[in-house]
This record gives sequence, C-alpha cells and structure tokens, in this order.
Amino acid sequence: MASIGRAIVRVPRRVKKGQIFKVQWVIIHPMETGLRKDPKTGKKIPAHYITHVDIYLNGKLVTKIISSPGISKNPYFAIKMKAVESGTLKIVYEDNKGGKWEKSVNISVEG
Amino acid sequence: MTTRRDFFKIAGITAAGLMLGAEAILSPVHAKISLEEAIKKHLGVGLSAIKESNEIKVKAPSIAESGANVPIQVSASVPIEKVEALYIFVDKNPNPYIAHVEITPVNGEVFFATRIKMGATSPVRAILKLKDGSYLMAYKEVKVTVGGCG
Repeated sequence: MASIGRAIVRVPRRVKKGQIFKVQWVIIHPMETGLRKDPKTGKKIPAHYITHVDIYLNGKLVTKIISSPGISKNPYFAIKMKAVESGTLKIVYEDNKGGKWEKSVNISVEG
Repeated sequence: MTTRRDFFKIAGITAAGLMLGAEAILSPVHAKISLEEAIKKHLGVGLSAIKESNEIKVKAPSIAESGANVPIQVSASVPIEKVEALYIFVDKNPNPYIAHVEITPVNGEVFFATRIKMGATSPVRAILKLKDGSYLMAYKEVKVTVGGCG
C-alpha cells in the first residue's frame, strides 16, 4: 500500500460569493478496526485508522472531524462551505500509527 | 419423493442453521460498548437527555447490501451559528461511536456525509450539540444483510 494517505479532493472550479458549495474527498487508507482477523494466519490485524481530519481555509479552521474505525475503508467525506474568500483549502489528516498527510486545493470566489 | 411439507421442513432447518452460523461469525469476542455508554463517554450526557428533532435529516439507504460501506448524509435546518458539533453513532455496532464533527459558521449550513461500517441492522443516529449546551437528535433505521465490522 504505497499510496496510503493519498487523497483525492473535489471542489467546484468557481463559486460565487455567498454561495454554499460542497467539498468532497477520499483518502486511501485501510481503516482497520483492530478486530478483524487475517484469514490466513488467524491473527488479529492491528488497528490502523484515521483519527482526525482538519479542514483549513487560508490557515483558519473550518471543520474538524474526529474519526474512528467505524468509517469505511478508503474513507469518503463531504462537508459544505460558504464562499467567503478565495484561497487555499488545506485538508490535514493523521492516523493512529503516526502517519500525517495534507492536501491543498485552490478555491476561487467570484464577485 | 419430497412433499411440499418436507420441503418446508428442510428449508426451515437450513435457514435456522444459516442463522446460527451467522451468529457465530458475528458474535464479538471483544467487549461490546452499548450506545448508552458511548453517548455518555463522548457527549457527557445520557441518551434520555437528548430530544428528538425533525430539524435534523439523516439520509441513508433503507437496506444496505454490504455493511462495510454504507453511505450516510446528515443535514439540519438549525442555524449554523447555534451549532457546535455533530456526532454520529450506530446503535448496534461493537463500538457505536462513528465520528464527531466540529463545525464553524464558515460551513454555511449543517451538513456532513461519509461512508460507514455497520455490523448489523441498526439505527444510524445523528446528534447535534448546540452552543447553549442542549442536544438534538434524529435517526434512520438501516437494514444490513451482510455485516461489515469484521
């Protein structure tokens, strides 16, 4: 799983000021609960999941998601945002094994 | 010759056997946390202190074929300025807690969507924490044919 922690983010290309738009993303991650057994060895697979995801716009916190292994493998998330200003939307996420990643996209607000 | 009666007898036994098998596979070897305990732990209040509200909408399939991947969507007509956080629980999961989302006025409106794991048929519960310290909730029953909590 070399691509673990990779994220694909989808935002509208342009938004009008004041408009509410959707931000969606998928993170490549196994989201192991720690309860599942390896069918070959019969041993428990250690828990490995995303613990939290923070979304920032121009450095200001917009949303904080405290996640759990109850979220599906390769987690999908969607939130809404009000178009206030153009800038960089940064998604920062960590897992319980010390993995830390981030992904940024640009948002351009018109009018 | 198999009579109609025999057929139903066999079918019944097979079905019972299958159910027992499923029970054995799904029965957790670890300690389960009840919904009541999970809510107490994450919210600090009891389930009875939370009132149901039709201002919250939980969108999820009525029947999920795979419990490993159930899409859910929560939205609410409560003004965003009044809301502090959103919690998601699945009543019958080994650990009912799914997620806790802290929202801010920049979100524009209360909205959150994700995909969750479900071990068995259960309500999917969304709880809103308001800034005045009160809680509101809504739920949607999702029927799961194959559990996905592994």
